[in-house]
Amino acid sequence: MLSRIAESLFWIGRYVERADDTARILDVHTQRLVEDPWIDEQRACANLMALMGAPCPDEEADTERVLATLAFDRTSPSSITGALSAARENARGAREVLSAEIWESLNVTHNALPQQRTMARRYGPHSLFRFVRERSAMVFGLADATMSRDESWLFLILGRSLERVDMTARMLSTRILAGDAAPSWTLVLRSTGAYEPYLRTYRGAVNSSRAAEFLLLDRLFPRSVFASLEQAEGCLAELERANVREGHRIGVAGEAHRIVGRARTMLEFMQTDEILAKLPTRLDELQRTCSLASEAVTNRFFTEQAPQIWVPEGAL
Amino acid sequence: MADLFDGYPLGQQWDEMFAAPGQPRPPYTGLFSSLQPMSGEELAARADVLSQTYRDAGVTFAHAGEEQPFPLDIVPRVIGAEEWSLIERGVAQRVHALEAFLADVYGAGQVFADRVVPRSVVTTSAHFHRAAHGLVPPNGVRVHVAGIDLVRDEAGDFRVLEDNLRSPSGVSYVLTNRVAMSQVLPELFADHRIQPVSDYPARLLAALKASAPTGVVDPTVVLLTPGVYNSAYFEHALLARQMGIELVEGRDLVCSGGQVSMRTTDGQQRVDVIYRRIDDDFLDPVHFRSDSVIGCAGVLNAARAGRVTIANAVGNGVADDKLLYTWVPDLIRYYLAEEPVLANADTYRLDDVDAAEWVLANLDQLVLKPVDGSGGKGIVIGPRADQRTLEELAVKVRASPRDWIAQKPIGLSTSPTLINGRIAPRHVDLRPFAINDGSDVWVLPGGLTRVALPEGELVVNSSQGGGSKDTWVISPPRPVAEPAPEHDVTRIEFTTADLPAEPPGQDPGPANDNAIAQSQQQQQLKDPVPRNLGPSLRTGPDGGSSSGATGASAC
Amino acid sequence: MTQSQSQGGQFQSQGPARVAGDRWRLQIVHRSQLRYGGPVRSSYNEARMTPENSSRQTTLRSRVEIEPTATVHAYRDYWGSTVTAFDTHGPHTELVVRATSVVEAGPEPHLPDPVDWAGLAAPDVLDRFGEMLRPTPLTAMDDEVVAAARAAVGDAGPREAGQLVCRFVYDRIEYLTGSTNVKTNAMQAWEKGKGVCQDISHVSVGLLRALGLPARYVSGYLHPKPQAPIGQAVTGESHAWVEWWDGGWSGFDPTNVVEIGSRHVTLARGRDYADVPPLKGIFSGPKSEGSKVTVEVTRLA
Repeated sequence: MLSRIAESLFWIGRYVERADDTARILDVHTQRLVEDPWIDEQRACANLMALMGAPCPDEEADTERVLATLAFDRTSPSSITGALSAARENARGAREVLSAEIWESLNVTHNALPQQRTMARRYGPHSLFRFVRERSAMVFGLADATMSRDESWLFLILGRSLERVDMTARMLSTRILAGDAAPSWTLVLRSTGAYEPYLRTYRGAVNSSRAAEFLLLDRLFPRSVFASLEQAEGCLAELERANVREGHRIGVAGEAHRIVGRARTMLEFMQTDEILAKLPTRLDELQRTCSLASEAVTNRFFTEQAPQIWVPEGAL
Repeated sequence: MADLFDGYPLGQQWDEMFAAPGQPRPPYTGLFSSLQPMSGEELAARADVLSQTYRDAGVTFAHAGEEQPFPLDIVPRVIGAEEWSLIERGVAQRVHALEAFLADVYGAGQVFADRVVPRSVVTTSAHFHRAAHGLVPPNGVRVHVAGIDLVRDEAGDFRVLEDNLRSPSGVSYVLTNRVAMSQVLPELFADHRIQPVSDYPARLLAALKASAPTGVVDPTVVLLTPGVYNSAYFEHALLARQMGIELVEGRDLVCSGGQVSMRTTDGQQRVDVIYRRIDDDFLDPVHFRSDSVIGCAGVLNAARAGRVTIANAVGNGVADDKLLYTWVPDLIRYYLAEEPVLANADTYRLDDVDAAEWVLANLDQLVLKPVDGSGGKGIVIGPRADQRTLEELAVKVRASPRDWIAQKPIGLSTSPTLINGRIAPRHVDLRPFAINDGSDVWVLPGGLTRVALPEGELVVNSSQGGGSKDTWVISPPRPVAEPAPEHDVTRIEFTTADLPAEPPGQDPGPANDNAIAQSQQQQQLKDPVPRNLGPSLRTGPDGGSSSGATGASAC
Repeated sequence: MTQSQSQGGQFQSQGPARVAGDRWRLQIVHRSQLRYGGPVRSSYNEARMTPENSSRQTTLRSRVEIEPTATVHAYRDYWGSTVTAFDTHGPHTELVVRATSVVEAGPEPHLPDPVDWAGLAAPDVLDRFGEMLRPTPLTAMDDEVVAAARAAVGDAGPREAGQLVCRFVYDRIEYLTGSTNVKTNAMQAWEKGKGVCQDISHVSVGLLRALGLPARYVSGYLHPKPQAPIGQAVTGESHAWVEWWDGGWSGFDPTNVVEIGSRHVTLARGRDYADVPPLKGIFSGPKSEGSKVTVEVTRLA
């Protein structure tokens, strides 16, 4: 398929997942601020912004700022609004490949954001986060139901999986790295939708190493880092099989496949204690894996777009 | 309840449907008898459904920057078989002549040496692209798709208003109009034998493939679009989808070493034919506008080298120039040695001082068209214009007479159109589409009928808020001797004897007492042998009917 | 220094050359180097550096070499010029095009009889040469200047008038490099009173047309020395001059006020410079740091 379209689908997957997970993280965060009377709001906000890759000076950190940067900033692809706008723009150019329903779903979501924002100001942000989660679920649900499992679907899911690895690692970081301003494990599990599955799996109270293990390594829970890496790997293997070229046949996996495979293997075969002992490093590596893999995918499949600006020389 | 067509006013202009009040012309008799008993409200209700069908399907047109559903009038326009045959021949003739002209103008220039057309008419045309000179397309075709605009004059004769040889648009609406109408008015379709339009995409694809560079087996064809923000994007996407070809933008293409490829996830894939819906000026920054970001640098030289085909060819605009239009009947005689089947509208050039003066003296009775205009812009209809407009026009015409032509206003024919629940006459034109595959020019039966919705309005162009009608060409009756052409059909015939004796029942799901009881009862009733044996060990009060629940059969 | 050592890549001489008395055999090496401000990904170019064949000139050999390597496609354009089209891909910081040609050139052997002014105004002449009579943005001249040129011509016939116009321009524009650039138009150069051969030729062509003479801008090379020793490589130049139609195409060099002869090698002709640039193209990347052009001419015979 056209590189441009493949790249659009890849980024739609990433952006929608990003909006979804950001909404989850922010939901947990704002709920905490409401529920916990002893919390240091400034510190919690500053930590969150840092973890989301948008650090701000401590004095300026407050919920207002968090929401402005991570929820409402149209221009930033790290904010919910920015990500959903970008997803829609990409979908516009890929309409012929996406089903009409998916396009409409993205379009409707994007168009409803201003109104959702107004409501959030009046009634609190929870309704906005819930809206975003539901709409994201709808987009991926429609993709699941209406897209053929061809390259277009593979790129979409690849984008989603890589983003999920990155975001789940960040979610874990909000607990691990925030010290005493950290949310409880219960809240973290809830934010990834993992609370009930965790309870069913472990039948017991929330235990920090088990919770981390669950989110990192559980093979059956689809939002775990391991499951996401596995899915990304699967997509890459399929894509490579479909794009076998001379001299790239057996044994030579693509760079992206290598990067993702390495991360997955590390999680699979390392002892859990080992992983948990150096958790902050591992989480950082996982985020790095996502961006390196994304770059490798771009280099491999989305051959550079044409230079758009031409400079005339010689004549007039 | 009044009949639908009561009070339908007939004036000086030719009406498509009525020769006299209440007397439909022969092609319309069927339509008349079907529609006449309907009330305006009923027809309006159907029209609403039609509009909704279009909205749901997302058939839109970008007007004033907004996407709006394309306005389709519910009353179709009908053309009889014989009349169509004339149009078909006339359109094909015109395309052949213009093809020959283009080959000549970008080649030997014999038409100048023989003094048929002054060279300056061509060399001063803004669309004469010297960069395309000497470029010979692989199968000689430069006008793969043409849209020849026709109107009917007061006498009922079709006249050519304009040729469109660059990127004529509107065929997507022809296709969608037909589908929508057949869904909303199926009974009308059952009553008429209307020639289908649905094979247009297949024919276009075949023609494009036939135009590929020599020696290419199974050519790759792409449709080059300016992108989603272009007003005709809907058509680009529809045609690409129905032809099964890739829809590309300039940035998806790269030209290297004279070969054009598209960037795919599987590397660069060679492109053989580019059906481009981009103006010449933006197509190749090497030869045309260097600030164009929607074209593909190097594509023209690749076409010159014979490595790729550009459809429609670069430079066709010199032949649909409004000034050249006045010479087309001469071109038909010169290249084809035939008389034109379809006449031009009466048109006057302003090339000499006397002609220019005469036109300036009669501005209020003529229609003035700018040679370089499109989409109906800049046209001044003398009889309708106010004094100030005429004065401004006179200044412009005096300054550069070569940029204008003058026509006697034609009273465009009218067609019954549903306006606010009543049927009223509105002016229409016709754009048939022709496809040239190198050996034949095929004309799509019907084409796009555009209707000017405001009362009395003569400019029908869709970019100025017009609407359209489904256009029906009635099939001629098939000669009896010839059986209907049969495609390869595999016959599959069954009789009840082929059915299995006991078709498998549906899976009832998890155990359920009722079901078991009923199925066992069935078994019992089926057993034909009466259970009237001798004294048995157990005989219930009913003697054998319901007590056999545990399986009474002893055999 | 023998000629085979003076420049690389030239053609081997083929034994004693025989040329007609008033013709010279010349070798031209034309090198055009474009330097970019940084690596450039792709460029698409056209070179018009191949001399023509005509009644006064025969091109024995011509070769165009390009660095970095490029696939080349040659064709003849609308004006009859031989074009070498090529594109380059892959990062590069400079583009070098070198054209080497061996040409025999002389004066026009035979010119048809001239027509008079009435003949020039005939409709079929106007029709045939329409493109060469119309002013272009680079060559259009103001009415006052045209009037002055007309006065300078007096009641001379078309053929004489052509030369008179050229001399008129020569007298008024001083040859000076650096005062104008490739985008300067005729009126700008006229007002400055200074220019190079491109400007002087544009002005001449503009005036010739205004007076009713269809006129062409010619791009080519000039061997600068009227008494050129054989075998000596000389720095020549990319040159321009004019032709007008007066019953046949007459040429003249308004920059040097000489007839077109064995020192002039014709590359291409058109309405003005924009139709015949020796090298033009587009590239993607940082702005270029300018181009360096060298022309080396050697009289071989």
